[in-house]
Amino acid sequence: MKWKRPLAWIAGAAVAAGIGGFVFAAAGFAPIAASSGHWAVTDWFLHFAMRRAVKTQSLGVAIPPDVSLDDRALVLRGAGHYESGCAPCHGTPTTQPSVVVRQMTPKPPHLPPHIPSWEPEHLFWIVKHGVKFTAMPAWPALHREDEVWAMVAFLRRLPDLSEAEYRALAAGDAGSGNRLRSHDDPIGAVVAESCARCHGAEGLGRGAGAFPKLAGQTEPYLLASLRAYAAGERHSGFMEPVAAMLDDAALQRLAAYYAAMPAGAAEATAAGDRALGERIATRGIPERGVPACVQCHGPKEAPRAAVYPSLAGQYADYITVQLDAFANGTRGGTPFAHIMRSIAERLEPAERGAVAAYYSALAP
Amino acid sequence: MPALPIPFLTHGRRLTAAAGVLALAACDGPQSTLTPAGVGAERIADLWWWMFGGAVVIWVVVIGLAVYATRFGTGRHDVRRARLLIIGAGAVFPTVVLTALLIWGLRLMPVLRPPTGDAAVRVEVEGLRWWWRVTYVTPDGRRIPLANEIRLPVGQMAAFTLTSPDVIHSFWIPSLGGKMDMIPGRVTELALEPTRTGVFRGACAEYCGTSHALMQFGVEVLEPAAFDDWLATQAAPAEAPASPEAARGRELFLAFGCGACHAVRGTPADGTIGPDLTHVGGRLTLGAGILPNDPAAFARWIGDTHEVKPDAEMPPFGMLPAADLRALALYLDGLT
Repeated sequence: MKWKRPLAWIAGAAVAAGIGGFVFAAAGFAPIAASSGHWAVTDWFLHFAMRRAVKTQSLGVAIPPDVSLDDRALVLRGAGHYESGCAPCHGTPTTQPSVVVRQMTPKPPHLPPHIPSWEPEHLFWIVKHGVKFTAMPAWPALHREDEVWAMVAFLRRLPDLSEAEYRALAAGDAGSGNRLRSHDDPIGAVVAESCARCHGAEGLGRGAGAFPKLAGQTEPYLLASLRAYAAGERHSGFMEPVAAMLDDAALQRLAAYYAAMPAGAAEATAAGDRALGERIATRGIPERGVPACVQCHGPKEAPRAAVYPSLAGQYADYITVQLDAFANGTRGGTPFAHIMRSIAERLEPAERGAVAAYYSALAP
Repeated sequence: MPALPIPFLTHGRRLTAAAGVLALAACDGPQSTLTPAGVGAERIADLWWWMFGGAVVIWVVVIGLAVYATRFGTGRHDVRRARLLIIGAGAVFPTVVLTALLIWGLRLMPVLRPPTGDAAVRVEVEGLRWWWRVTYVTPDGRRIPLANEIRLPVGQMAAFTLTSPDVIHSFWIPSLGGKMDMIPGRVTELALEPTRTGVFRGACAEYCGTSHALMQFGVEVLEPAAFDDWLATQAAPAEAPASPEAARGRELFLAFGCGACHAVRGTPADGTIGPDLTHVGGRLTLGAGILPNDPAAFARWIGDTHEVKPDAEMPPFGMLPAADLRALALYLDGLT
């Protein structure tokens, strides 16, 4: 056979190349030093492969119908996380990534000028899945796509932000944070660093329904939730990294700190059938096995377990996101979370919104 | 049911013997059609014994004929007589017997489904996965909610109205009478008239899902006076906790939201999704006929709900500290 001989040569060459490559690696000659960087051609090829992969593999991504990337709540959520999770490597509008980070190969790009070359769906894919062989990590809670979209909403704003605008978005209660930092209570520094940026130093969130109010919740509930985040039992790319870095003593002090804050006022702004929400909250839907919310979440006369969150005056957006996550089975939480899963899945989306609207308008 | 040691299963003969013992054991006890304690069950048992006797006779005759044909009458048979035997015993006889049984069965129906207009006791039973919502309706129209338990006065007719909101169940107290399906979207009826006092068992007789086999209920037939006392107790609100620990259990019951699904009349707990617990401590069984009624069983049910009854609607509360479970159990056990 004529074709047999060249084929044998090709096979032999391939085997030899494989063995050669293995010997090269086994001998320790692979050029892994970050200090030497990539050859220009390697750098071009890796970037080319990455950009092509993102574009192809994000083909199935679509902005969900209930997500508006111009929503201020989403932008605020993304900004709060960018400052702690992204800025150290990708910089802010005027500050470059730190000198340490710039010694990585590949170097994380200073992000603002690069954003416009990506569509929102591409950004979503990159933030959610990360990029192998670079330091870009995947989102810590893969099914929290609502959080990933918040990052995308913020990233789209990033190129147009001045440093002052960025600070205002990302730092929130920075002023009071600084006040806390100088406070005698050692937990002040943690609150200022990690919590106040989103939840506010007073625990009232930052308006716009972007972050849940912590003021008005009991210490046992806050502590159980923080522990659930720290242990990975409750899922959030925003909260898990923060909680996991703190030891249990700090979590306890944090829970006590926010539990001591006076509850704020209700805001009756949420869309949703509040009358229907009230009916469900106070009477449940017995024929569908939905118990009355008030029996666990108040308001009610009889005693209420401190480990159950109080919902009166909470932002409707937050309640809705949690109920939706319970309903689709992805909401972890404290050891009591399974109770809510079986309840939320029996409610229609409009009913969950109605309950959220009812509670958000209720005085805490 | 007696537990069989495993070696039993390896010896065919012993297994047959054991099966025989089990079969005999099944003839007695609180859930047997053969020790009737109700008008309907007695008539059904009569029919069953006649059929059993007839079946024994027919079996002996058939086996006798077979032995005769293979051992003794092995020669040629007269064709006309053989044809007569085949037509007579193979077609005419079964037709006559089955027709007689049909007539008997049809004549039984008025006894098993008597008009219930003058029934002394009216009970509504709703079959749910996997428990029974029971409501006694008094002559003056009061509704007394309870669950997983039927008590009846001896010698009086009780009329049952049977419904189901989910899947088909079947309501059956073998000792008292026949069974009746509970069909979503329809209302079925059943009348039972107990003839002697005693404790019996009922069960769901139509496969209804994961825990169908764990959907049972306790039954007690009482003297009429005792029945009236019992019903008066069931109608009354719950008793106050008797000990500080039980009082703590009551606080926990209310605080952890148990009242969202369960009612304890006389307290803020007014849920209607799960069983009414106002007098749960006085019931014959727990968990719809599957656990004894004591504090340990309460704690086990509350903490390990899904181990005890897979797929039950109630979320398990095993995350509560053991002391809390004990307090809850004591409180519920005291609700007699």
